[in-house]
Amino acid sequence: MNTLTFHYHHMMSWPYVPEDFDTKYDSAWVTVPNSLYDPEKGHELYNRYFAEIERADQLGWDSVIVPEHHQNISSTIPSPNIMGAILTQRIKRAKIGIIGNSLPLHADPLRVAEEIAMLDVISGGRIISGFVRGIGMEYFNYSINPNLSRELMNEAHDLIIQAWSRPGPFAFEGEHFNYRYVNIWPRPIQQPHPPIWLPGSVSFETIDTAARHHYPYMSVFMPTEQRKMAYGLYRRLAEEKYGYEAPPEQLGFCAPIFIGETDEKAMKEAEQYIAWFFNTAFFKVRPQYVSPPGYFSDQSALNMLKSGAGEQMLSKKSIKDLIDTGVVIVGSVDTVIEKLAYHCNDLHAGMIVNLTRIGAMPDEMVQQQQELMAKYVMPHFRAQPAAAESQPVEIRSL
Amino acid sequence: MSAPEATRSTECIERTIDVRGLATHLFEAGDPTSPPLLYLHGMLTANTWLDYHKALAQNFHIFAPDIPGFGLTERPAWMRDMSDYVLYFRDLLDTLQLEKPFIIGHSVGGWMAAEIAVWYPERVGKLVLANALGLRVKGTPMPDIFALSPEDIIGTCFENMMAAFPLMPAEMSVDYMFAQYKQFASLASLLWNPGYDPRLEQRLVHVSSPTLVLWGERDRLVSPIYGETYHRLIANSQLVTLTSTGHMPMFEQTEAWSAAITQFLSQEMVNA
Repeated sequence: MNTLTFHYHHMMSWPYVPEDFDTKYDSAWVTVPNSLYDPEKGHELYNRYFAEIERADQLGWDSVIVPEHHQNISSTIPSPNIMGAILTQRIKRAKIGIIGNSLPLHADPLRVAEEIAMLDVISGGRIISGFVRGIGMEYFNYSINPNLSRELMNEAHDLIIQAWSRPGPFAFEGEHFNYRYVNIWPRPIQQPHPPIWLPGSVSFETIDTAARHHYPYMSVFMPTEQRKMAYGLYRRLAEEKYGYEAPPEQLGFCAPIFIGETDEKAMKEAEQYIAWFFNTAFFKVRPQYVSPPGYFSDQSALNMLKSGAGEQMLSKKSIKDLIDTGVVIVGSVDTVIEKLAYHCNDLHAGMIVNLTRIGAMPDEMVQQQQELMAKYVMPHFRAQPAAAESQPVEIRSL
Repeated sequence: MSAPEATRSTECIERTIDVRGLATHLFEAGDPTSPPLLYLHGMLTANTWLDYHKALAQNFHIFAPDIPGFGLTERPAWMRDMSDYVLYFRDLLDTLQLEKPFIIGHSVGGWMAAEIAVWYPERVGKLVLANALGLRVKGTPMPDIFALSPEDIIGTCFENMMAAFPLMPAEMSVDYMFAQYKQFASLASLLWNPGYDPRLEQRLVHVSSPTLVLWGERDRLVSPIYGETYHRLIANSQLVTLTSTGHMPMFEQTEAWSAAITQFLSQEMVNA
């Protein structure tokens, strides 16, 4: 059995939407009115979420992970670096994944380099730094020309890596970013820089970039078949184009996991929360917001049109579909172990980034899920203590 | 204006020319001895040859190129904002040997026409800005076309859906949708943020040619306030507003629209 590391993913959803939300609004992104957000409730909700994340640290997750998302109900973390700062104070042991900063959305990547370096120093070198392009909707939020997405991403990435790892001061001359003095104070603790993860869909460009730099690639809310293709591509690119064998630590996947007494009971219990998260929140989007023109390369856009993947993604899904396609993992302890084992043994994945709090789940249920995971699932995938195996058999025969 | 001869041909020549290395697809029609006219299409009308083009070809030697990134003219990667387009159009005028043609621009093509007239006033005989965007009119932003479905874009542009028929694809093929994606990517490079140039207002003082600002009174994409603003800012301009039509008068009132243009372009240049 191969091993897996466990990463506690938190979206910090806003579950308090009115009953008629689904029919009244056509999008849970971009234009969803912020009058639906109640700051008083928000104060209480953030603090409940922090307590939950602290528990994940105590229960043994290897890291806790927060994303960056804007103007929506499925994730209320517009500034992941602020969230990261809070977590450096509340999370004592686990690593802290900021996965990731949406580089093209921000005019000043030097600021991202500075903030992550600060957090790395404050946390004693526990930061994992993800970089993302931001999803289509966010190009509307920030009025960033989607045609420039890929090159802004690449150039910001190059600047940040240099800012972290090259002695300053030096000048950076780019197409979009130009700095006469790159000389960040403080520098990160981790050398040459904090680990970088690239979350993504099946976009060739993202997988190629990740494979080239040996960055872990993390698939997000993806059906198993697509994940298989993405991993296959990553491993092939690593081997044939970049000349190395991709280790499991470079292949991660992000999925909601729910454990019940039996498969059937688990499905029944999880249904409303999963349906809300996928159908009412994350994938409830006006189609135009998902793929702003120029956001995808011509080749990716053509592939999507041919396969109809865009429409599929936005269609309402039953929990059974989501389970069958592998977007979510729901079942008894044995079923969850079996599915994770498939990912690590057959797909060579080494990291599971699991969403435990799904939508409006009550706190007690979340706590129970955390405990089930920690007690019954995680130990299966941890390296066994070396001593147990290395007992020399000969001793007994003497 | 002479009466159109029954035999006068409005058949067009369709060809691809090299504009400083950029293969440009265009339609050309009309009597080569008639005054030359460059027609810059709007956001939905590249690679079309329709009744309104034919009406203009009765009296003018018309050139209707596909603007790079639209129709059959590819947009090279380096071409990404208005300044690249303006320089391209100067090259296009040189390639076509048009010293000082009339220039008509509709919608996004109208913004381009206005920019050409700002930067190269000596290359513009007369200017027609038809439902042109480009200006910042505070308090009246254009709707976000990138947030609209294809049906809603047509619904916003047209008052009479039947008139939109020539723009409807025979089928919603992958090829068609891919071409639309690429056109909208080009549009995004010009209009995503912002869909105007705040400095254009100040710069319009450089437009020296007689100018017709021609609008549909019900334009819900580029409000008639934009037309009034262009008219106010361009010294030698006149404003003509067509009633009962919106962003696409050339489809809905082909005759009135082309007559207004023909009359304006055929006037003696009093102030020139």
